[in-house]
Amino acid sequence: MTQTPRFMRNRPLWLVLESFLLLFLWGCAQSPQSLRTTSLPVSHIEPQGPAAEWRAMNRLSYGPTPTLMADIKSHAHPKDWALKQLDAARKASQEAPKLPLDLTSINDSLPRIFEGARHEREARAAVPAGTRLNELVANERRFNFQEHTEALFYNRTQVNKAVAWRLASCSSDNVEQPLLARMTEFWFNHFNVYQQKGSVRPFTGHYAINVARAHALGKFEDLVLASAKHPAMLYYLDQWLSVSPQAGRAGQNSRGLNENYARELMELHTLGVRGGYTQEDVRELARVLTGWTVAPRSQDGFQFVMRLHDSGNKTIMGQSIPSSAQFMGVKEGEQAIRFLANHPATAQRVSLRLAEYFVADLPPEALVDQMAKTFLATGGDIYQVMKVMLSSAAFWDPENKLYRTPYDFACASLRVLNVAQDRNKWLQAFGYSFVAGQAIQNWQTPDGYAFNANTWFTPEALTRRIDFALTIARNAPERIDLYPYLSDTTIKAVMKQPPLQRMGFVLGSSELVFK
Amino acid sequence: MTMKSERILSNRRQAILQTLSMGAFALPGISAFANTSSSSGRMVLVFLRGAYDGLSMLVPHGDDRYFQIRPNIGIPKPDGSQKTALALDATFGLHPACAALLPLWQQGVLAAIPCAGSPDASRSHFDAQYHWETGKPGSSSPSAGWLNVLSGMVGNGVGLHALGVGESSPRILSGPRPVQLVGNGLSATRAGTLSDSKTREAVLQLYAGNEKMASAMLEGATNRMSTAAMLKTPSMASSNEQQAANNGAGSPQGLALDAKHLGTLMQQNRQLRLGFLSSGGWDTHINQGNVTGLLANNLSNLANTLIQLRAAFNEPNDVVIVASEFGRTCAENGTRGTDHGHGNVMWLLGNRVHGGKWHGRWDGLDQNQLNEGRDLPVHHDFRGVFAQALAASLGLTKASLADVFPGFRWDDSLDGIFKA
Repeated sequence: MTQTPRFMRNRPLWLVLESFLLLFLWGCAQSPQSLRTTSLPVSHIEPQGPAAEWRAMNRLSYGPTPTLMADIKSHAHPKDWALKQLDAARKASQEAPKLPLDLTSINDSLPRIFEGARHEREARAAVPAGTRLNELVANERRFNFQEHTEALFYNRTQVNKAVAWRLASCSSDNVEQPLLARMTEFWFNHFNVYQQKGSVRPFTGHYAINVARAHALGKFEDLVLASAKHPAMLYYLDQWLSVSPQAGRAGQNSRGLNENYARELMELHTLGVRGGYTQEDVRELARVLTGWTVAPRSQDGFQFVMRLHDSGNKTIMGQSIPSSAQFMGVKEGEQAIRFLANHPATAQRVSLRLAEYFVADLPPEALVDQMAKTFLATGGDIYQVMKVMLSSAAFWDPENKLYRTPYDFACASLRVLNVAQDRNKWLQAFGYSFVAGQAIQNWQTPDGYAFNANTWFTPEALTRRIDFALTIARNAPERIDLYPYLSDTTIKAVMKQPPLQRMGFVLGSSELVFK
Repeated sequence: MTMKSERILSNRRQAILQTLSMGAFALPGISAFANTSSSSGRMVLVFLRGAYDGLSMLVPHGDDRYFQIRPNIGIPKPDGSQKTALALDATFGLHPACAALLPLWQQGVLAAIPCAGSPDASRSHFDAQYHWETGKPGSSSPSAGWLNVLSGMVGNGVGLHALGVGESSPRILSGPRPVQLVGNGLSATRAGTLSDSKTREAVLQLYAGNEKMASAMLEGATNRMSTAAMLKTPSMASSNEQQAANNGAGSPQGLALDAKHLGTLMQQNRQLRLGFLSSGGWDTHINQGNVTGLLANNLSNLANTLIQLRAAFNEPNDVVIVASEFGRTCAENGTRGTDHGHGNVMWLLGNRVHGGKWHGRWDGLDQNQLNEGRDLPVHHDFRGVFAQALAASLGLTKASLADVFPGFRWDDSLDGIFKA
């Protein structure tokens, strides 16, 4: 009896050969250290067979749909397919998203979204005190938005539509390029905003599309800047209120500096907590960013207000920023952000997180170093960094396992059952993510959701996953096209079930619980 | 259960299975531990993620500088009404939203330590929480949570001794020892599909040869059946996931409901001696309010939670501890909130607690007394506070305390916070 899938029982030939190659390099270098510092051997022997196909489909999309399987099989090597996915994802990121018709309002112009929020404020102010609003009305239609939304429920409907978009885009290849859906999740989470924080609510969908998705495979500095100037982030980390103490005192409200965004920009978005900055640097960066705030009537939702800006001298990590003359203005903050975005500590941190998301909870250091090197050499070109990762042996090594997060598993289920169009199934997927602790776009703190097995693979969580698998797959038609990818043990246990209950066991198998 | 799949299970997992097959899953601790647990207490930690503003809950009204540096968010000097701080003594008062706690203070079972915290200077939530939860300030190396380590020292070292309610996998409970984790809100009350023995058997076959999956599945199923059996009430069973989406975590009632579940479960299973609860929403950078407002609502919820816990943990050696990863700036910031600080107030609740007073060093709010001129200093390492509690409540020796908190030093300036 064995749990190893039949195709993995022996390590694939390409990997065995590659191991020899590694040993050979090691021997040549005569120093273990060189393994870390010399460039990572790029696989010239192509990963082959069902194992590599399964791996590529489950990591570069949320799971194997029939279309995706046909596509990968039409390529000579899974790696060719993987690199084509990367190109396709970059191309798609530069085009408008294919939003289902009832979800388009999440991508309205920002002035319109601000207006919707204002109308809700006014409508609520007009409700007589003591009236109980039936908030559940909107909720019951959670994933069906054909009907007109009352002004009273604008914000919550925007939140629900944004969640619906994440389910639509992760589950259907017609709605979204599969790898781009994954990259969007990754970047939204890296620059996390919380959909339940009051003023953030109507903007989360716009943020996912125009920040995370649009810059998913572009330059990292553009991504940071887009996030810094988006109303969702300006509201979420309170930057919109942070002003120079002098300006604050002069105005009616005694407002002043707020360090919240500046700290997380360094700690989470760029350098990382051990990236070499101090409390003093946090404060200086907060001063640099004073005057960055929202602009309800402008197309990008952002404005820099010179009169709220602290124009004194500042120094960030040894970089002195001269007293801002009028012409510097917003450029002062933009320069600081570019400096942080291209810092070696940032390159290392972003590469590590990408490798953790796509390769393993503890990815090989040599891979991360190689990705970081590429990051620095290309001015933070995420596409190039991803290319290094997909070309590495580590990405294809079956030893590098990943456990699916609840959201990942919810999306995988929709794809494996081929029910991307069924909004009742979305509701089940949504409910599972919530109960399992990863409600979609609902993490309160700026660190975003964890995505490692230590966090998600616990006994209780596994039983909730099995509950969901058996429930959502009840009476689902079998997908025998998946069976060649499953282990003997899995097949044996699945076949003992009556046909209409088999898909639940396929979903619950270790092949799909992990990826 | 097939013979094959049974063979692969470790002894611990077999014990779980045996309990299951005997149908005694709801009673594992009652018979085995009732006689041994009466002599030593239980400890519950309520962890407030996001750094709660201790200076709003324990108001230093005796210090005029408090009102100077918090012109908008300060809690006014006690005047006997509910619109000001409730005087505890000449130095401190209680936030009026915590009025429910005043009787506990007066009964002498509630105490505060105003300047406690981590010796590490980090103002990162995530770093600081990691230090608190591993019990190793300053170290970011992978490490088990200290409640997990501790659970292995409780009782005879067999079985489950630690329970977490709410979070899917808090760091403080993670590690090599099995612990019981219960979902937040109403999800805790559902036993799930694996409560059916045929389904369990079928899934076990699915995981045949994979000991990790098989044992995790069985452990989870057992825990959930036992939890659901203990918590089941008619009103809870009728809810659905959509309501959970609205009314679950994050709602003002969330923490109190989790506390209620924790109390019930630890009451019924006396093998459980360590409890963990947490809540978010304490990171009040803007408009935190004062007597009323955002923070006041959270504090009121916390007070209700502590009342719940007091009812469930009132045996001689039980102790409940409230803490947060660090404190907030003493002065309000430019947006009527507070930024990340350093030292903070910890609370202790229990019959052994030398309550009705605050303990440890307090030098006031003069700028030269503050950490970096802006935050409460850390006069008392959090490990020193926990060590006092673990010694008093669970009877841990100083030698075993060193295994929970490697390298910590016993803080004898806190001797006396627990009655002998």
